Amino acid sequence: MTDTVLSDQSIPGQSQGLFRVRQITDNVEARPVPSIATEPKLNPPASRAYFFGLMAPAIALLACISLYPFCWLIYMSLHDVEIGSAVWNNFENFTKLASDSRYLNGWWLLIQYSVMCLALQIGIGVFLAVALNGARFEKILVTTLLMPMMMAPIVAGLVWYFLYNGTFGWYHWLLQSVGILGPKSILASTGTALIGIVIVDVWQWTPLITLITLAGLKRVPQDQLEANMVDGASQVRNFFAITLPNLYPVLVIAVMLRFMDNFRFIDSVLALTGGGPGNATKILPVYLFEVSFKFFKLGRGAAIALTLLVVTIILGMILVRVFDRQQTRKA
Amino acid sequence: MASREVVHYETPITKALRWFSVAFIIVYLIWTLLPILVMFASSFKDLLEAFKIPAVGDWAGIGVFFEFTPTLKHYNDLFANLNFSSYILNSLVAAGGSAVISVVLGSMAAYSLSRISFKGKNDLFFWIISTRMAPAVAVMVPLYSIFRSLDLVGTLPGLILAYTTFNLPFAIWILKGFFDNVPYAIEEAQMVDGATRPQALMAILPLVAPGIGAFIVLCILFAWNDFLFAAIIGSGGAKTLPVATRELVQPQNIQWGSIMAAGVVTTVPMMLLGLVIRKYLVTGLTMGAVKE
Repeated sequence: MTDTVLSDQSIPGQSQGLFRVRQITDNVEARPVPSIATEPKLNPPASRAYFFGLMAPAIALLACISLYPFCWLIYMSLHDVEIGSAVWNNFENFTKLASDSRYLNGWWLLIQYSVMCLALQIGIGVFLAVALNGARFEKILVTTLLMPMMMAPIVAGLVWYFLYNGTFGWYHWLLQSVGILGPKSILASTGTALIGIVIVDVWQWTPLITLITLAGLKRVPQDQLEANMVDGASQVRNFFAITLPNLYPVLVIAVMLRFMDNFRFIDSVLALTGGGPGNATKILPVYLFEVSFKFFKLGRGAAIALTLLVVTIILGMILVRVFDRQQTRKA
Repeated sequence: MASREVVHYETPITKALRWFSVAFIIVYLIWTLLPILVMFASSFKDLLEAFKIPAVGDWAGIGVFFEFTPTLKHYNDLFANLNFSSYILNSLVAAGGSAVISVVLGSMAAYSLSRISFKGKNDLFFWIISTRMAPAVAVMVPLYSIFRSLDLVGTLPGLILAYTTFNLPFAIWILKGFFDNVPYAIEEAQMVDGATRPQALMAILPLVAPGIGAFIVLCILFAWNDFLFAAIIGSGGAKTLPVATRELVQPQNIQWGSIMAAGVVTTVPMMLLGLVIRKYLVTGLTMGAVKE
C-alpha cells in the first residue's frame, strides 16, 4: 500500500512516454494512513489464547478418555494381564494370534458378514430410494422407514430372536411355510446362522442407506437428465448414465459408514447367537468380547483390540479423505 | 430446478417398473414394520397367546396374531417386581449426563476450531474423528481396566464418562460443521459495536441453537441405545434399560412377555425423539457428510 496521495499513473490505452498525466487517485486505500496504525491481525495472541482456552476442556477430557486408554491398550497388549497384575511377555499376545484359528476365522466371518450386509443394504436401499423419490406420501413413508433405526440394537436382536424361534417364531413360520427352511431355526444351524444375523442388520440399517441415497438423489442435476432424455435416452438408461454416477460419492460414504458400524456394533449379534452355534457367527468383535470379558484375558484381548483398531483407523482415514473430496467438490 | 414440462413417455418397461416399485415399497413396509408390530402386540399378550402361531403352510391362520385380550400385566411386572423404574432413571441420567457434557464442551471446542487455524489442526481433527469410529469393544478393554482401578466400574459417573468417549468426538465433529456455516462477519460486526468475544459468541448462539438441541437429542439416543458399555462398565450399580432387558433372557427361563414390554419401554421414547429431530437425523447419522 502506498502512502502518497498523488501518484504518477499512466492512463491505459495511451502510449507511454508521450503524455504522463498526474492523476489524483480517489480510492480510500491511497489516503494517508496514520503512522500508528498497523496491519490488523486476524488472530492476535490474545484471541488465540481465548480460542484455545475454549477448546481446552474438551480436548483434555478427550485425551483422558481416549488417548490415555489407547496408550494403556498398547501396554496391556504387551503384557500378560491378570486381575491387578501385568507381566511382560515378549509379544506373545501377538505371536499367538497368528496361530489362533478362531481369531483368523473371526476376521474372515467379519468380512463375510460386512460384505453380505452391505451388498443387501445397498441393493435394497438404493432401489427403495429410487422408488420412493418423488412418490406420493414420500415424507410419511420415509419417516415410517426410520423406525427400526431408532431401536436399541440389543432390543432389535431380542425381538428377532423371538421371531426366529423354532416353535413360536413368526418369521420362522413364514420361512417354513414358503419352504425355504426346515423345522430347525435359522440361528440353530451353522450353515444359516450368519445369514440370520445379516437379515437383522439389513432390517435395521437399510433405511439409513435409503435416506442417504434420497439426499443424494435430490442433488442429481435435473438439466442433465432432461438433456439426456431429449437425446432419446430412456428412463432406465438415464438412471444408469446420469443418476447413478451422481450418487456415487454419497454411496461411498454410506458404504464406509456401514462398514465401520459393522466393526463397532455387535449388540444384535450378542442377543441373537452370542457367536454360536459353534463359532459360526463369532465375528471378530464378538470373539474379542468373549476373550476379554468372558475369560478376562485382557492382555490377549488388548492385542486383538489393537489389530481391530488399526484396521478401523485405516478405514477411517479413507473415509475422511472421501469426506474432504466431497467438501471441496461442493465448494 | 429446470422446467417440469418434460414429457415422460410410458413404455411397457417403465410401466412395469413403476408397478414393481410400488409393490416393492409395500412389501418392504410390511417387512420393516412387522417386527415392531410383533413387539408391541406381544407385550400386551398373555404368554400363551403370544406363542400361538398357525400350522406350517396354513396361510389363513395368520388371523390368530390378532386374537388376544390385551393385558398390562407385563408392564405391571416390569415396574412392580423387576425394578425397571430405577433402570429408566439410570438410563436417563447416564444418557442425559453424557449428552449434556459432550454437547456443552463439544460446542465450545467446535466453535473455536471453526474460528482459528493452527498447525496440526487436521491431525487433531483426525484424532477426534477416529476416537468416534473406534470399535466399542476395542475401546472398552483398556477403559475397563482403567475404570476398575479408579473404582468407576458399576457407577453412573463411570458410565457417563464411557458414553462421553463416543459422544464428545461426535459433538465436536458435527457442531464444527454447524459453526462453519455461521459467517464470522456477524461476530465481527458485534465486536465493532463494542461486544467482547464472549458476547459475540452469545449473539450467534441463537443461530446454532436448533442444531445444538438436535445433537443433544442424538447423543442421548446413541447413549440410551448402547448395550456394550452399559453391560461392562455399568454392570452392577448402574444397570440401564438395554442391559436390564437383556438380563430377562435366562438360560432356562426366557420371560418373553416382560422382554417385549421392556423393549417397548426402551424403544418408544427414542422413536418419538427421532421424529422430533427428523430434520437433523441424516446429518447426524452420517457424521455430517450428507445433508438433506
